Amino acid sequence: MKRHLTEQELIEYRFKLAADVEIDRAGEHLAECEHCRAELEKLERRFASLDLLREEVKVSEDLVSQVVRQAAEPRRVKVAASKKLPAWAGAAAAVLVVAVLLIVANRPETERGEPFAKAPPEEIAKKGSAITGGVAKLGDRYAMGGTSELVDGIPEKPPFAPASAIELVTLPRRDNVQLTIYNSADLTLVRETRNLTLKKGWNWLQFMWANTLIDPTSLSLEPKKQRDKIDIQQLVFPARLRELGRWLIRSEVSGQVPFEITYFTSGLSWRAFYMGTLAPDEKTMQMKGYVRVANASGEEYENAQTRLIVGKVHLLDQIAELAKRQYAYGRPATGGGYGGGDYAGWIKARDDLYALPQDESRFMTLNVSNRLGELRPKEIKKEGLSEYFLYTIEGTETIPDKWGKRLLSFEAEDIEVESLYKYDEERWGGQTRRFVKFANDEEHNLGDTPIPNGQVRIFAQADEDGSLSYVGGTSVKYIPVNEEVELDLGTARLVKVEPKLMDFKTANYKFDRRRNIAGWDEIRTWMIETTNTRELPVEIEITREFGTADWALNLVDPASMAEDAISYEKHDATHARFTLKRKPKSKWTFGYTVTTYHGTRREEARK
Amino acid sequence: MLETDKSLIDAHIGGDKEAFGELVRRYGDSVLGYLVRMTGNREQAEDFFQETFKRVHEKGHTFRGERFKSWLFTIATRVAIDALRKRKRQPVVSLNQSAGCSEGNCDELGAVTAANCCDPAREAEMAEQKEQVRRAVEQLPTKQRATLVLAYYQQLSYPEVAEVLGCSTGTVKVQMSRALRTLAQRLPDVSGVAK
Repeated sequence: MKRHLTEQELIEYRFKLAADVEIDRAGEHLAECEHCRAELEKLERRFASLDLLREEVKVSEDLVSQVVRQAAEPRRVKVAASKKLPAWAGAAAAVLVVAVLLIVANRPETERGEPFAKAPPEEIAKKGSAITGGVAKLGDRYAMGGTSELVDGIPEKPPFAPASAIELVTLPRRDNVQLTIYNSADLTLVRETRNLTLKKGWNWLQFMWANTLIDPTSLSLEPKKQRDKIDIQQLVFPARLRELGRWLIRSEVSGQVPFEITYFTSGLSWRAFYMGTLAPDEKTMQMKGYVRVANASGEEYENAQTRLIVGKVHLLDQIAELAKRQYAYGRPATGGGYGGGDYAGWIKARDDLYALPQDESRFMTLNVSNRLGELRPKEIKKEGLSEYFLYTIEGTETIPDKWGKRLLSFEAEDIEVESLYKYDEERWGGQTRRFVKFANDEEHNLGDTPIPNGQVRIFAQADEDGSLSYVGGTSVKYIPVNEEVELDLGTARLVKVEPKLMDFKTANYKFDRRRNIAGWDEIRTWMIETTNTRELPVEIEITREFGTADWALNLVDPASMAEDAISYEKHDATHARFTLKRKPKSKWTFGYTVTTYHGTRREEARK
Repeated sequence: MLETDKSLIDAHIGGDKEAFGELVRRYGDSVLGYLVRMTGNREQAEDFFQETFKRVHEKGHTFRGERFKSWLFTIATRVAIDALRKRKRQPVVSLNQSAGCSEGNCDELGAVTAANCCDPAREAEMAEQKEQVRRAVEQLPTKQRATLVLAYYQQLSYPEVAEVLGCSTGTVKVQMSRALRTLAQRLPDVSGVAK
């Protein structure tokens, strides 16, 4: 064999996985090839690390005794607790991978059969006799927390923990789910309903939050029916089992019971954005508002009712951080329901969040069809909270993990807008900026509700066929009702303002007793050339800054101007603002002389 | 004289209470070691161990006198694979725990040999390598892992592994080869590390 041996051939040689003849051939090659021997040694060093796991595993005598004892007992009848419910098969995508362990302790011995026992026989007999008066042998993970009397046919004391994980079964799909997304805090309240099948007695409900951003400390479980017969006793986080918790439920009924599970999760978000289309005359605008809901929570929410909260909430912890913890913190107190401490605080906070007003008013109409192709418009309903606004998207939406979904949130026609061009060297240098102004009020066909912050893009109709051209975009902050909003659409290309300094001189020098200059005037003459190359008339606002509060301004040759051609006002102490309207396809220049007063001349000028 | 496995099973079916205990003691370490390496978790392995011998007890009458060890490991493999497959969809228990982790007594990762016990740096390195090996083995597909554990750690011959897994010897070799090629990329180089 001339060529070197491949890694596979070396492995097959080392572990005798090839045919004998191949192994012999490889052996002969290795005897002659130093390179391959080195490669083999390298491989052997790697495989030697497998021996790190070769520690001896010894069966404890207790374990042997349990197995033997079990064998000595009558044959075991199949325990119903381990059977899977057929309807549960589709629960793979469930948010909580949840499992129910039905505790056999409370069932008559004849039905129960004999589960595996781990505790010594005498201990088991002691426990069993305390429960039923007969022998109820329990594995130590079924073990009762001491002696126990029967109350309504149910052992008074709960089992210490559920049985082996082998017997876990998954829950059915959610019947419904509601998401309330608090965008400002990366927080979503999830309320879901599932039908759990309970047995009379003690039930263990196991859930886990692996690979999701669910806050385990926020989990809450409540029966929606049979509340007087079902008691959620405690929520435990077993040692050494990560991202897993178990509820202990005492039930006086058997059969299906609807439960509501609530929790906070992170990773769901929404953002608003808007598209405005200016009419050809640019006096009105059509506006569409959208909401994009994104799901990166690690969980798929199918047919979820989605509610969006505008406003900021105060959080003590970041949910994503809580979700990543190996073990849930702040374990709730056991017994007597949900206990106290942080958990009780959370329950209160959650109840506060639930306390939403019931009087809902219509907010906006949705034109988006759902995934089944339904064409009926959806609605987003608005509810006002003290410091938030709540938008409820009509119907339900499925938001798969890692997916986003865009929904039309409102549409308004004929919004009166003012188109304005602005020039202010201090703010934008030598650029002219374009603005569109409107108000979130009834007069502008808006004003039903505040408008959440988001990106705005404005388009204009480019031709009679309705083709659109992009005019500009900006982001808007939260716009309360009756508030005016001015959208900065960026640099204008078709309207220009060019100021030129035509003359500069000083005058009116004042001297002190030593003949030093104590005051003077500066006189500047500016010519402002404005160019409108658009097909529409435009309004231009020009702001000029003088660097001092002591100034006087005179237009150059005002007699030659039309009366309404230009006006100016003192914008503030140091600025003047000119407003002019320009005809389509026109160029026009106006001038002004500004005198600024310095030193002692300021006092004189003020007089 | 040492009784054969078959005679012990027969005795157990016949009501001999000692016979079953003898079988459990005879193969207990081996089966538990196999299950610990398959699951990476002592507690889970003990559950599977009980389940395995429960099935031996219940199905003992179906044992026809072939190799008991293979039959036993077939049951253990079935218990483990079924549960692990279920666990794959619903990973309840972490596989990161030490094999030496038992109820209330969880050994530190990287329990080391006496020779290394007084060198913390060495100990830490060993622990890290051991964890790396454990992860590499755990990440193998279940059948490849079963093949590797049976052939390498339990030192069953390839035909015996084939019998346990209910496949041909050729299939076992293919699975073993794939497992080793994957491990060759993932295992640490332990040159100079005391085993």
